[in-house]
Amino acid sequence: MEQIVFALLNGVIYGLLLFMVSAGLTLIFGMMGVLNFSHASFYMVGAYLAYTLQPLTGFWAAIVLAPLLVAGLGICVERFVLRRVHAFGHAHELLVTFGLSVVIAEVIKMFYGNFPVDYAVPSGLNFSAFALGGMEYPFYRLFMGGVALVMFAALYLMLTRTRVGIVVRAAIYRPRMVEALGHNVPLVFMSIFGIGAFLAGLAGAIAGAFYTTNPNMALELGVVVFVVVVVGGLGSMEGAMLASIVIGVMNSLAVGVNVSLADVLGRVGLGDWARDTGGVLSLQLSSLAATLPFFLMLLVLLVRPSGLLGEKE
Amino acid sequence: MLKTAMCCSALAIVWAGAVQAEPLQVALVETLSGPQASTGLLYRTAVQYEIDRINAAGGFRGEPVKLVEYDSQGGPVGAADRVKAAIADGARVILQGSSSSVAGQISEDVRKFNLRNKGKEVLYLNLGGEALELTGDKCNFYTIRTSPNAAIRFQTLTRGMKEMGLMGDKVYSINQNYSWGVDVQSIIEANAPKVGYKVVGETLHEVNKIQDFSPYVAQIQQSGADTVLTGNWSNDLLLLMKAASDARLKVRFGTAFLDQPGNIGNAGPVAEGNVMSAPFNPELNDKTRAFAEDYKAKTGHYPAYVEPYGVFGMELFAAALKTLDGQPGPVSADQLVLAIEKTGIETPVGPLRVRAADHQAEMSMVLQEVSKDALYKVDGTDYGFRPLKVYSGADSADPVQTTCQMKRPG
Repeated sequence: MEQIVFALLNGVIYGLLLFMVSAGLTLIFGMMGVLNFSHASFYMVGAYLAYTLQPLTGFWAAIVLAPLLVAGLGICVERFVLRRVHAFGHAHELLVTFGLSVVIAEVIKMFYGNFPVDYAVPSGLNFSAFALGGMEYPFYRLFMGGVALVMFAALYLMLTRTRVGIVVRAAIYRPRMVEALGHNVPLVFMSIFGIGAFLAGLAGAIAGAFYTTNPNMALELGVVVFVVVVVGGLGSMEGAMLASIVIGVMNSLAVGVNVSLADVLGRVGLGDWARDTGGVLSLQLSSLAATLPFFLMLLVLLVRPSGLLGEKE
Repeated sequence: MLKTAMCCSALAIVWAGAVQAEPLQVALVETLSGPQASTGLLYRTAVQYEIDRINAAGGFRGEPVKLVEYDSQGGPVGAADRVKAAIADGARVILQGSSSSVAGQISEDVRKFNLRNKGKEVLYLNLGGEALELTGDKCNFYTIRTSPNAAIRFQTLTRGMKEMGLMGDKVYSINQNYSWGVDVQSIIEANAPKVGYKVVGETLHEVNKIQDFSPYVAQIQQSGADTVLTGNWSNDLLLLMKAASDARLKVRFGTAFLDQPGNIGNAGPVAEGNVMSAPFNPELNDKTRAFAEDYKAKTGHYPAYVEPYGVFGMELFAAALKTLDGQPGPVSADQLVLAIEKTGIETPVGPLRVRAADHQAEMSMVLQEVSKDALYKVDGTDYGFRPLKVYSGADSADPVQTTCQMKRPG
């Protein structure tokens, strides 16, 4: 019982972290139609900036300042790079952001080296929140989950309950009409990009201390984040939330399941044959845990190409 | 005018090439850029260090040995391509070490090339791919492994931990799901009755894809293990240790690659008391200290992780070259292989020689633990690796695998 509780909790919190990064990505895609390949790089930059600022300003100021700086970077990227490329279509935007992610990774390596830097959870936050069945649960994980939830609530309220949200949502569907009504659409887009970058930067600043801050962190998380956005439905905030949690929990539960296809075939008397054949048949589900999100993506794309909560094209 | 100048310089190069004797060309095929570059770059530093020493001592047959670097950009596919390019450019020796999967590819490529190009054979010096098949199933006359392998690592690790009283009764084995990790898992299983522990749980997981190890830690917790043995490297090791400490899991880790730069700095106090079996430790004796200082003077840092045995492998190569020096003309791969088989060297840690039967190197292994008492601190922390026990080459060696059917020329 405790094992299941822990597995669920682990999964939900990892899912919330995925959400923090994918929220910005899906927001930007929903608003601007730009699939931002460099989004996970903002996550990495957030972690490195927080690591750099921490000795100067302390942990709390660092995790506030770093995302703000990342938001500034995001705004510059939108204003001076993407806006110029926008006229040439989506393929060019995709290529530019892809190139940008490579450049960011190399610049990070130039300044911080090839190996993980020692950015760690401050000792004041490094205690266990509660213990259950002999296992202790780190407080910092709950903290990460809490930040993600607050962020989700704030975003959701902003988009659905404020005038800004109305303008933003209108600008997605009828940019020209919104412009004709006197709103500055490029400014709206730039702000959205900044907010998306801020969210990724915040996730990086917080998660970088818990996991590791290394030059590959963008790549490691980036792929999963794309899967989340596709499964949830491109552009859908609620979809991203749902998909993040599903993928997080699925990952966490699968690790504990030592079942292979051979065991399943054993039910119909083919177990020995399957074990002798080996290969895929004797592969245990637990060793596939990190691959499951991709199976899920495949399944969703086959059955419901617009994603779990995506709008029908 | 410019055209003439270019023409002349081109002619000059051709002419210069014609009169000079051909220098021995050595190709380093490693991942030098992109996400997996960190290990490849360390091999480059180690190889460059030794090549500089060879050339400072007069090179080979009157010419400096020429080191050319090829960036394989990660996987076996890129490496296969670069090996072809290297051979076409005139390389007679291929060096690589950072991955068993790439090592398997290069070993096969070199074997095939040598079959088809009699008289132009090339030698592949495997500086660090540690999967067993490379000196078992896939063993090959022209492939020589100068690093330890999975068996050497984990036999010395498990035995050493037991002898030092650091091994618990219940062991959890968690490894990466590819040739190296699978080998490690089977050795941990095989050694259980010999050394005296019980494997209470096993996991194979994807390589460097997992961000969140807490579900795996929950599995370890559930199994009741007190010792975790893992061949994991890079992020997979670091994240595993961090997740274990976050869950306040009281286990000791027995590892192979704990000394990768950044690991101790990142894991901090979590790493204390964890154990590693590796072919080097700087505080062992005067010679290891002298080597560490000299290496630092030349490269800016103490040798760590793959660097020491990268250098020792190249030292063996250099010693073999010396036995062939003084004769005219180019050297053949056959001569090189035979010379390496015959040549043994004395590294600062102990003797290093290559077995003729399967081309696996035998070397001393050092059991060491992360401790504040270590002489050489790492990553700017208070911690370093303190040697616990040294196993001589004969003591650490594993028997030649029966699957190795090496075809020798002639």
